[in-house]
Parts: sequence; C-alpha cells; structure tokens
Amino acid sequence: MTTTLKTFGAGLALGLSALASGAAAQSCEVKIGGIFPTSVDWGRPIAETAKFAVDQVNAGGGINGCTVDLLLRDSQSDPKVGVDAAKALVDLDGVKVLLGAVGSGVSMPILTTVAVPAGIPEFSCCSAATAFTALAEEGKSKGLWFRTYPTTDVQAAVTAKIVADQGLEKVAIFYKNDDWGQDYAKLLAGYLDQMGVTVTESVAANAAQPSYRAEVTTALATAPDGIVGLLYPTEASVLIREWISLGGSQKMVFSNSLRSDEFREAVGDKYLTQAVGMDNAAPRVASADAFVASYTENFGSGPNGPGLPNSYDAAMIAMLAMQAAGPDASGADIAAAVAKVTDPAGTPVTADADGFAKAAEVLSAGDTVMYQGATGNVVFDANGDVAAPAVMWKFTETGTEEVTYFTMEDVRSMLTGN
Amino acid sequence: MIGVLSYLVFFATMASILAIAVLGLNLQWGNTGLFNGGVAAFFGMGAYVTLILGGLPQPDRLGGFALPYLLALLGGGAGAGLLAWVVGRCTLHLRHDYLAIATFGIAITFENVARNASWLTGGAQGLRGFEKPLQDTFGAGLSYNAGFLAFVLCVLALVYLFLERLVASPFGRLLRGIREDETAARSLGKAPARIRLTAFVTGAVILGLSGGLFATFYGFVSPQDVLPILTFQIWAMLIVGGSGNNLGAIIGTVLVWAAWTLSGWALSRFAPLDMQLYTGSIQYILIGSVIVAMLFWRPQGLFPERLLISRPARSRGTTSGQTGSTDT
Repeated sequence: MTTTLKTFGAGLALGLSALASGAAAQSCEVKIGGIFPTSVDWGRPIAETAKFAVDQVNAGGGINGCTVDLLLRDSQSDPKVGVDAAKALVDLDGVKVLLGAVGSGVSMPILTTVAVPAGIPEFSCCSAATAFTALAEEGKSKGLWFRTYPTTDVQAAVTAKIVADQGLEKVAIFYKNDDWGQDYAKLLAGYLDQMGVTVTESVAANAAQPSYRAEVTTALATAPDGIVGLLYPTEASVLIREWISLGGSQKMVFSNSLRSDEFREAVGDKYLTQAVGMDNAAPRVASADAFVASYTENFGSGPNGPGLPNSYDAAMIAMLAMQAAGPDASGADIAAAVAKVTDPAGTPVTADADGFAKAAEVLSAGDTVMYQGATGNVVFDANGDVAAPAVMWKFTETGTEEVTYFTMEDVRSMLTGN
Repeated sequence: MIGVLSYLVFFATMASILAIAVLGLNLQWGNTGLFNGGVAAFFGMGAYVTLILGGLPQPDRLGGFALPYLLALLGGGAGAGLLAWVVGRCTLHLRHDYLAIATFGIAITFENVARNASWLTGGAQGLRGFEKPLQDTFGAGLSYNAGFLAFVLCVLALVYLFLERLVASPFGRLLRGIREDETAARSLGKAPARIRLTAFVTGAVILGLSGGLFATFYGFVSPQDVLPILTFQIWAMLIVGGSGNNLGAIIGTVLVWAAWTLSGWALSRFAPLDMQLYTGSIQYILIGSVIVAMLFWRPQGLFPERLLISRPARSRGTTSGQTGSTDT
C-alpha cells in the first residue's frame, strides 16, 4: 500500500515539475495567491475586486517593475479545499503573499497550517471572527495576519451606543446563528451590560427556516422595550414580520446586513419607522469616492456587495507592502513592510494606478506612505485589526438614509476591548 | 523542487487521513452493507473530542484538559464509537435507505450541536486546539509535516492490516453473510443485530481516529469541517475505489482527493485569464462528471471486491495471512 502511494507520489512529482519548468517563461512576473469562494455567488465579486486591484497596479507599472499575476483558487467554502489550495500556492507556485480567505472557518486553518509555518502573510478582506485577535494576542500569528474588515467588536460597540442613545433599557437580541452572529451577540451583550442596558434574552435564529415563531415567542415572553436584530435579510424578513404581527415592540436596532431594500419591502416601511441600524461607513474622504467611481467605470455598477472595498484594500496593501519590501523579499519582510505603507505620518497616496506609481517613487526614496483606500486611511493595530467609521441609519419610504456619522476617532473611543 | 516535495507531503497527509475514514466506511458499507449517511458526524466527533481532551484550557469553555496526545486521539476514536453505539442501538434495525436517512439526520444534528453548544465546541467560531505534538523535536515546516505524515501512514497501515485480517477471518465472512442474506445468517444461529452493531461501532471508531488526526493536522476544527459535503466526499472515494476492497478504498481516496485538489490547481494555472473566476464552478462540474461517468462505466469501482471463499485456506502457511489480498 505504501509502495503504491509512493509510486503515485513520484509520478505526480515528475508531472508537476515538468509543468512548473514549462510555465516560467515570462520575463518578469510577481505572483500573488488569492483564495476566495469563487464558485459561490457572493464570493465571485470579492475575487473580481481583488483582480481589479491587481489590474490597477499593473497599469501603474507593476511591483518593482514586474507584472503582477494573481493566481485565483476556489475554496468552495470547504476548509480542506481552501487549505490545500493555499499550500499549493505557497509550495508549487511560490507565492509570497496570500489574499483571502473569506469565511473565518477557512482563513483560520490556512493561517495556522500554511501561512504561519511558511512565514507568508495572509491578507483577508472579510474574516470577522474575534478568534484571530485572540490568536494574535498569544503571538501565534507571528504578525502575518492582516484584515481590512473591521472586527465584529467595532460593530458591537457602535450598535450598543445606538441602543443606549435610543433610550432602550431592556432589549432582546436576535442573532443569525453563525460565527458572525454568535460573536456579535456576545460582544454586544458585553457592551450593553457596561452601559446599563439589560439584555432580557439572546435568541439564535438559524438560516432559512420557514417560520421563527418559537424564537419570536421566546423573546416576546421577556417583555423587552425593543429588540436588536443581527440578521440577514432572508431570515429577518420572516422573523421581523412574525415579531410585529405578534405585537412585539417596533423599536428595533439592526445590523448593517439589514440595510437592504429587500428587507424593507418584505416587512413594509410603515412598520419600520422606529427602526434604526448601524453600518460601517466609508470614511468621508476623497479616496473612498474615487474607488466607487473607478469601480463603477470598470464594472458598470457600483460596489454594492459585501466586502468589496475591503477586498480592494487588502489586495492593494499587500501589493504596496511587496513594493516596499523590494524584490526577492521574504514573506516576513513583506509583513513588516505593511507598516511602511500604512504610516499615518507618511505621504498620502491614492488607491489607483497613479497612486501606486507615486507610492513606488516615495518608497524607493526610503520614505513611508499613507495608503488612502476604499475603506479610508487603513491603520492596522498590533493584532492586524482595523477600526472603521460607522453610521446610524433609518428606513425611509424609498430606501435608507443616514442619521448620524461616527468618525474613526469616535469609534475608537467606543472600543473597550471587552 | 523542495516546494513540490513539501506540497506532496502535505497532500499525502490529507489523503492518508481521508483514506482512514474511507476504510472505516468500507467496513460499514463495503463489508456489512450498512448505509451510513452520517460519516461527517463520526468524523466530527473524533475531531472535536480529540481537541477537547488534548486542547489547552480556554476561557468560558468546558474542556481543554491537555491530556497527552495519544490519549486524546484514542479518546476521539472512543467518542465516535460511543456515538455510533447510541445511534446504532436506535437505528440499526432500519434497512438501506432508511438507515441512510436516519444517519444523515444524525450528521445534521451533530453539525447543529457543534454550531450551537459554544460552551463545549466553541460554536460557529470553531475550536482551537493544542500546540502540535512533538513540535520541539521536529521543528516547524517540512520536517514536522514529514514526521506527522509518517505517523499518519503508520495509523493507516495499522487500520489497513487490522481490517484485512478482520475481513479474512470467520467474522469477516459473517459480515458478508449478513450483508448478502440476513435471514440465512440467522438460520445458521448467528445474531445479525449484534454483529451489525459491532461492525458499525468499529467502523465509527476508525472514522473517529481519522477525524482526530484531521483536527491535529489543522489544530482547529469548526462546523464548516463537518458539513454534509464531507460525507459525500468520503462516499465518492469509496465508490470510485471499489467498495468491499480495502486497497481500492485507499487508492480511490488518493485519486478522488487528487482530482478534487489538482483540478483546481491545474485550472488556476492553465485556464485562460477570463475563465479564472469561473474555475471553481468548472471544477464542480468536472468532479461531478467523473463520479457520474464512474457510476456508468464501472459501478463496482476501480478495484472491485474479490469474493474468495477460501482465502484463509489459500494463504495458510504464510506468516501474515494477508498476502493473498494485496497482490493487485
């Protein structure tokens, strides 16, 4: 049996090395690896946006004069497949940087099994789990983990502030039963507790149920002043309708995922007049507008899916760091160079081809730059996490509108890291 | 070249871990005819129990007993066996598709428990485990992975030899007898219910060991690891390899896992640039087509079961007693 495996392995090795030598013909190419769930409908635009960032860098002259080649692999949202793809990208294709993955359940084993042992930095657009922060605090991510998606901690702190500002004293929480929802609900309960707001019940809602009557009556029995809905439109459309029809309070606070026309139309805006929500906000800076404009020009519609600006910034920062680290840099050098391209005291550069070219110039002179990205002036903390501005919004007859804007500084002051 | 070697070690480790699981299923389905649609639950049980027993203590969670590694791994196998015993007592009187549906339900239940019992399993966030065992001795990187591969191969070899021996023994004949005609077996004074349960639990322990090794390899397990797709993957490996044939099960695993991963690699490498974004979908179609084609042209698998009535008699006098079955 072992012999069979070995023979097979040897055959495979021969085949692979033949392929590898055949493909290395281009004059000067830098490869970066991307692992996204491209076979999933919402995953593909995230990959497309990363590809768009690569095209911009190539238009700006490439990394250290070399064309950037983004090798995209599908994770199928299956950790086994995603980890194998990451390992193949690092070992067979020799990439020095990994972009992705999207789901925390895939990003985490990639980080612990592939990226950290190989010393390759991983830039995720979209993994929000707090487990990464814990890993980084223990020093086990070795400074190789970066994410441009504000952690759930940011969302929880702002949501708690909004709940308190609405004058609610007793709330029930409905949360989507996945890593995001569980995390969010737990952190939110912690912040609410600090602010003296009582959480009467925290109820999990599984996706795609035909009815949520049991969940709704559980919460209703505790007689809260209002509710917090940390849900996605699919389940919230059903759950909130049932909540209102059973006489639940219409004072509701929602997560960013419910800032959606689909949800507003399913429930009816006359029931949503007292509802408000939180959302991560694009910072009020020109760079975010510039991203929207260039994205719209390229794709024909605005960046409306989840994680798109984050994906763009993750890819851009990774490539800027590669530029800053110079040719033949190791993965650890690239990770260390991230600070040089996100330096608040550095020369500001825009998030496009010209910006990249300018950054290359400034960096080659030995100076640092401040990348002004699609999500604003990205600054990673010691754990590779970012803060982000936020807004409070409400529903209108035609859509949603912003009520209050919390700047990056406001949000940082709300974070107590509970 | 070192990269290719490093990847092959990695690939072989995952393939061997999955092969152990396929061997466990082969005992249940290939030899005994028990349609286990809940492979993911037993695999997952092994993974979770191993990490809970061997893991470091974590705040606000039960578990993290930091037991010695081998004890934790055996505990994982035992946990899966215990689950199988309970499930088996309730469901094994069911036949074929009914058993499949019942066990599938168990797998969904398991996934939901894993997703919700955050005080025990870490919930949807997943469970972070322990430092890799013997990391100080082997160092990080390739040398460690090679050492771990050797360990996994040893487990695989042990499981393989155990099953070959079992299948060739009178007990193995009894399993096949029950699979083919339970009434006939009963008329000979055998107790099919007990034997089926024994085979089910034994297979589940092997699945659990595989899950434990999987969790060790990643040092992490989340509900995303125990989705129904895993059951499907393990089944595809057994069907392609040939159910009832242990060697076929191993080769089937390597081939299907290679198709699963290398097709992705080859597509990302050679597909035209415009197609890059669609390689994930193309890959799904490819994998599905291979399995459909297999079922059309070779439903018995690449290495079909060989029914030898007097296998022990033929190999009598040799030392191992298994040589007759490995001469493919």
